[in-house]
Amino acid sequence: MKKLLATTAATTILASMLASGAFAAELTVGAANVSSYLDPGRDHSNVGSQFYYNAFDTLIDKNHDTTDTEWVPALATEWKLIEPTIMELKLRHGVKFHNGEDMTADDVVFSLNRMYQATFTPYQVRARDRLGNFEKAEKVDDYTVRVYAKRPEPLWETLLNLQQVMIIPEEYTKALAGDPNVAEDDDYEAFSLKPVGTGPYKVAEFVPGERVVWEKFEDFWGEKAPLDKVTVKHMPETASRITALKTGEADIITNIAPDQLSLIESDPDMKAEGSATALFHVMIMNVNHPVLKDPRIRQALSLAIDRDALNEALWLGKAVVPSTHTLKEFGELYQPELKTFEYNPEKAKELLKEAGYDGTEITFDTAPSYYTNGLLAAQAIMEMWAEVGIKGKVNVGDKWTGNSPDMMVRNWSNPMYFADPFGCFGVMWAPNGPSESEGRFNTDEEYAKTWEKFRFSGDVELRRAAYAELMERIKQDPPVLPLYRPYESWAMKTNVNWAPKPGHIPYVLDFRAGSISFN
Amino acid sequence: MLTYVLRTLLKMAVTLFIIITLVFFATRLSGNPIDFVIGEGITQEDRQLLIAYYGLDGSVATQYWKFIASIFTGEFGLSFLERRPVAEIAAERIWPSLKLLFSTAIFTFALSIPLGIAAAVYRTRFVGSAIMVIAFMGYAVPPFVIATLLVLIFAYTLNWLPVVGDGTALHFIMPTLAMSGMFVAALTRFTRNAMLDVLGQDYMRTARAKGLPERTVILKHGLRNASITILSVVGLQIAGWIAAGSVVIESIFSWPGIGDLLVRSAIMRDYPVLQFGVLMVAVAVICINAAVDIAYAYADPRIRLAKG
Repeated sequence: MKKLLATTAATTILASMLASGAFAAELTVGAANVSSYLDPGRDHSNVGSQFYYNAFDTLIDKNHDTTDTEWVPALATEWKLIEPTIMELKLRHGVKFHNGEDMTADDVVFSLNRMYQATFTPYQVRARDRLGNFEKAEKVDDYTVRVYAKRPEPLWETLLNLQQVMIIPEEYTKALAGDPNVAEDDDYEAFSLKPVGTGPYKVAEFVPGERVVWEKFEDFWGEKAPLDKVTVKHMPETASRITALKTGEADIITNIAPDQLSLIESDPDMKAEGSATALFHVMIMNVNHPVLKDPRIRQALSLAIDRDALNEALWLGKAVVPSTHTLKEFGELYQPELKTFEYNPEKAKELLKEAGYDGTEITFDTAPSYYTNGLLAAQAIMEMWAEVGIKGKVNVGDKWTGNSPDMMVRNWSNPMYFADPFGCFGVMWAPNGPSESEGRFNTDEEYAKTWEKFRFSGDVELRRAAYAELMERIKQDPPVLPLYRPYESWAMKTNVNWAPKPGHIPYVLDFRAGSISFN
Repeated sequence: MLTYVLRTLLKMAVTLFIIITLVFFATRLSGNPIDFVIGEGITQEDRQLLIAYYGLDGSVATQYWKFIASIFTGEFGLSFLERRPVAEIAAERIWPSLKLLFSTAIFTFALSIPLGIAAAVYRTRFVGSAIMVIAFMGYAVPPFVIATLLVLIFAYTLNWLPVVGDGTALHFIMPTLAMSGMFVAALTRFTRNAMLDVLGQDYMRTARAKGLPERTVILKHGLRNASITILSVVGLQIAGWIAAGSVVIESIFSWPGIGDLLVRSAIMRDYPVLQFGVLMVAVAVICINAAVDIAYAYADPRIRLAKG
């Protein structure tokens, strides 16, 4: 009788748990790197982008299931241009921050202006390359804001969908340090250790460099989070991460090198998911170095490289070799028909002869392990150069040499910070952008004019035409060669259904509703 | 005695000051942290802004002065990466490392002292030779190889032991074994040699002649006298563990300790953290040396009386 009672009680509890969905769904992620701070505004690192989408929202969201551009209402429910330079957005009612405060126009204006009119150095630096065209945000009423651009802006939605303009709470942030009514630098520093947003998960615990714990946020405005708790732990060693999957200490692990894939795929307990990441590993060439001043020499350096062979040998053919500086994610601005870069050793030899290359040694700088396969690729490139008669030498070092006048050639990456050529090629190669400012790339008035057309034309066709012109310039006087989109993999237990979504910027760990499930 | 203590303290302060200064200037030789902390895609103008933001704009002398001042506030500067006081960061990391150090130390002593004595006492028999063969092997195999083997067998294949972090007692088994391997080997050999030196002494024969049980002869007359040598070796060993021993092991076992922190800050040129880390190691070494001195005096009345 006692046993029967116990069984009945257990069944009742079980049934009620099932009914309320009270089974705790928890997940542990083993990450190669965990951020040192969490502030979507100042961050654009590959490590950081893993962590923002679960806890923060933008005004306008995007359908991440596709590389096509489909804008989705998020914290703003509707938006329209009331003048070519003014966008008015209606805000969603009933949105709560993780600390319980309601989100209103004040928070939105504060979040946007902290970037548009930045006073905090990291924000200034981050805003300059992508938000330079935005003047200010203004409150109209509690649920209406206006955003003012300096010039008509063709990329309104794109630039309101950026990680950097995710919405954070005004009162909470200002009260973190010093005067509770003033936004000081210390407030922002403190925020990055105790971040608060409006997303489906709140950051319940954050130990910089070690651990991020997300917990389901019950008051989320949209579809509730599918998991109750997610713990991301720092596991620096690849072998340890894979072992953690085997011992059950992790459900998903990040950053699996291509040579580990066969091990994972042959094990019935594990599987791998991956994609060609939306960034390019590139080779940069210093146009102002005396040895490389003649564009023909740089063309030859580029033409000599068989990127498909690199892909086959180093990435098992899973990387993507581009014909020009373009990514599928750009939507209407994706221009694979442009042929800016190719493999042509015969032409390389001819150009070297014409330019009178005298066999001077050309150095290729690379860090020992920063880019996956970076050093191996550099060594292979030396062989390919040797084939056409270029004497190359790999220089291994941790220091960034891209700002040194002595740098000849080195590797680098051009990530896609947002889905537009402006968010990839544009950030790095704009007039007065990082490359020119570091003294290894020159632009002239004509380049700047074409750039303006590409950046600000309201008509997509005009933008495409201008970008094609820019690519032609790059072909004639090349400062860069995109090698490939590297293939990035995650591994997980067989019962976990998760994969990186094609519409995200690289490395986002998306555990929102519809993004993860279990068998 | 008071002058002795004061002189020791003063010496410690001077040593620390010299170390602080050396570390400060040595780290700055390795490159501008902006190039590492910020990464790709930054204009020269923004670079200048960030240099000011990280407080690297003043002359080296000003920076040095600021650093010295930050020591007296107890903050030890702000980490470039995390932008919070270094002391706060280290406080999070120190305990996991210490726990691993303690478990390694206890395991090493518990195993190698008896083994060393046995190897000395039974030096002509099979047991003695077997212990020494194992000890030599242990000395020849680096910790990361032991760690990898352990992980492969007990975690990857058998799934018996966890590999991530320091959550439970089970988490300590593999890192402790891996860390201890070399130290057990070393300490066993030292104990054996120290015991051998002592075992042939006249007073041992006297002790036996008095009719004392063999156990008392070995432990009281033998080990007590051998302990001076053993202590000095142990002191050096622990200092070595603190300085470098755990970096690789912490990385393999995702141990949230100080070693992992130091590696990251060295790669990213997070000077304030790096400086503090080196300083902490230095303090630890100095303290251990002092502790060993005291332990000497305790173990050997001759030293105690001479210093008194």
